[in-house]
Amino acid sequence: MLKILGKRLLSSLAVLFVVSLITFFILKWIPGDAAQLILGTEASQESLEALRESMGLNEPWLTQYGNWLVNLFRGDWGSSYIYGESVRTLILQRLPVTFSVTIFSMLIAVPVAALIGILSALFKDSPIDVFSRSIMQLGTAIPSFWLGMIFMIVFAANLKWFPVTGYVPPSDGFLSFLHSIALPSIVLAIGELGILIRLFRSSMLTALEQDFMQSAQVKGLSRATAIVKYALRSAVIAPITVIGNQTAKLFGGTVIIETIFALPGIGRLLLTSVEQRDIELLQGIVLFITFMVVFINLITDLLVAAANPLICLETGGKD
Amino acid sequence: MKNKKPKFSVILGMVLISIILLLCLVSFFWLPYDPDRMDTANRFALPTAAHLLGTDQFGRDVLSRIMVASRSALLVGLCSVSVGALIGLVVGAVAAMSGPRLQSLIMRVIDGFMAFPGILLAMMLVAVLGKGQINAVIAIGIFMIPSFSRLVYSMILENKTRLHIKAARSYGCGPVRIVISHIFPDMLPRMVTQFSSSIGGAILTESSLSFLGLGIQPPSASWGMMLSEARQYVLSYPFIAVAPGVVLLIAVLGFNLLGDGLNDRLVRKGVRS
Repeated sequence: MLKILGKRLLSSLAVLFVVSLITFFILKWIPGDAAQLILGTEASQESLEALRESMGLNEPWLTQYGNWLVNLFRGDWGSSYIYGESVRTLILQRLPVTFSVTIFSMLIAVPVAALIGILSALFKDSPIDVFSRSIMQLGTAIPSFWLGMIFMIVFAANLKWFPVTGYVPPSDGFLSFLHSIALPSIVLAIGELGILIRLFRSSMLTALEQDFMQSAQVKGLSRATAIVKYALRSAVIAPITVIGNQTAKLFGGTVIIETIFALPGIGRLLLTSVEQRDIELLQGIVLFITFMVVFINLITDLLVAAANPLICLETGGKD
Repeated sequence: MKNKKPKFSVILGMVLISIILLLCLVSFFWLPYDPDRMDTANRFALPTAAHLLGTDQFGRDVLSRIMVASRSALLVGLCSVSVGALIGLVVGAVAAMSGPRLQSLIMRVIDGFMAFPGILLAMMLVAVLGKGQINAVIAIGIFMIPSFSRLVYSMILENKTRLHIKAARSYGCGPVRIVISHIFPDMLPRMVTQFSSSIGGAILTESSLSFLGLGIQPPSASWGMMLSEARQYVLSYPFIAVAPGVVLLIAVLGFNLLGDGLNDRLVRKGVRS
């Protein structure tokens, strides 16, 4: 177990290192540097030079990268020139919104997908299966911004079940908070259904074909008992990794839903930073999101490894 | 029974794609109206015989705009996936055929690119390159590279140890020749599958970028931008959000279904034989 932990930790760190390199050097290509962006095109040469000097933009790139990394570890993620605040404060302020929408939508998507996926595996080629495969295709193809708008028209504007836009923080009442993020979460959840149903369906199909199912039935268990006692159990473990992965991905993909429903989350901050080319803010957000992705993936992998001793043997035991 | 299902999805996919292709081709010869002509007296019109899909907030004909926008959707989809597939092929092949050090270096970089979730990478690239159609192609193209190179990489590794490759090497074939004339034919079915589904993804990404105002810029038409413009009026005039979304859905669904169907027919058959 320790061996896996070490290995996975190392590879996660390697990925994060590469990500920080990519982020830093891609954003270095933005035409006009940070000083130019802050002062505008009409700034005098002297003031530009002075600002460059004070921001350390005249240093070689590698030194700049090193400084940036060191500051990140110190907790200084730079400051946003459009908001005039520290990047860390801006991100942490908006984190709860994005976080709750992400978690809430997974809480909706996973049970629904598990139910549909497992049922459609049990009744393969039946109308249930055809229905679930249609949802699978539609779920992946439907543009979330369109679905968001349609849901807004139907459920918020016409049926008035949910508020149209706006976010209520949990401090103003937990129920109204849930109410305000319900519709965005449902729309996000539908987008996830495609992948998740496919996952549960194929995992259950594999489980049903396993030898232990046959031996269970040979030993006299009814099919129903065998399914409940053995197949279900093994079918639910496999998707955990992908669920973790999807949660992480979803976390970075909320920008569209936040735009439609006017939620003050990280996605909106990201969009503003891209539009305004606020380099330090953009760097901070991108790195924060990818860090979360890598971190969530690491945790899921370790959880799965802890739950399933076979994985320990496969990856950790051999070498 | 098993052979019937894939056939159905391939056919449905092709039908959906043909609808979009037809819209696109016809748009070069005939459009119901000039897509940019404004008619302020006739804003937010519901579908009538004169305007089959109604008019938008400036009184422009929605059908004409959808038809014109289909050009850029297909163009961006095809071009960006071609860019991604081509570069991905080269990168994946180089990684798979090179020594262990270069191999792990390239794969770590690919892992790094894959860690950016969703359209984050594309958005970051737009921040650097600027908005607009060509930059959208480049951004989405780069966004597509990692998945293609992963695919190519794993397929070459799978094939590398097979007997006919070893034979070719013993005859003095270089790595480039081996990949092109001995491994590539085996990879083709899966490349085609991936290509088709990626086009669906690319069209969706382009429209998402345009929806966020980062892709195709006005006055050109794009499905994502039409929906973004519709957003301001959607509560009073819900109808203007329907048509562009449905067309977008048809396009993405068409390419995804075709990809899935081809996957079932080409790839699985290949595995069995």
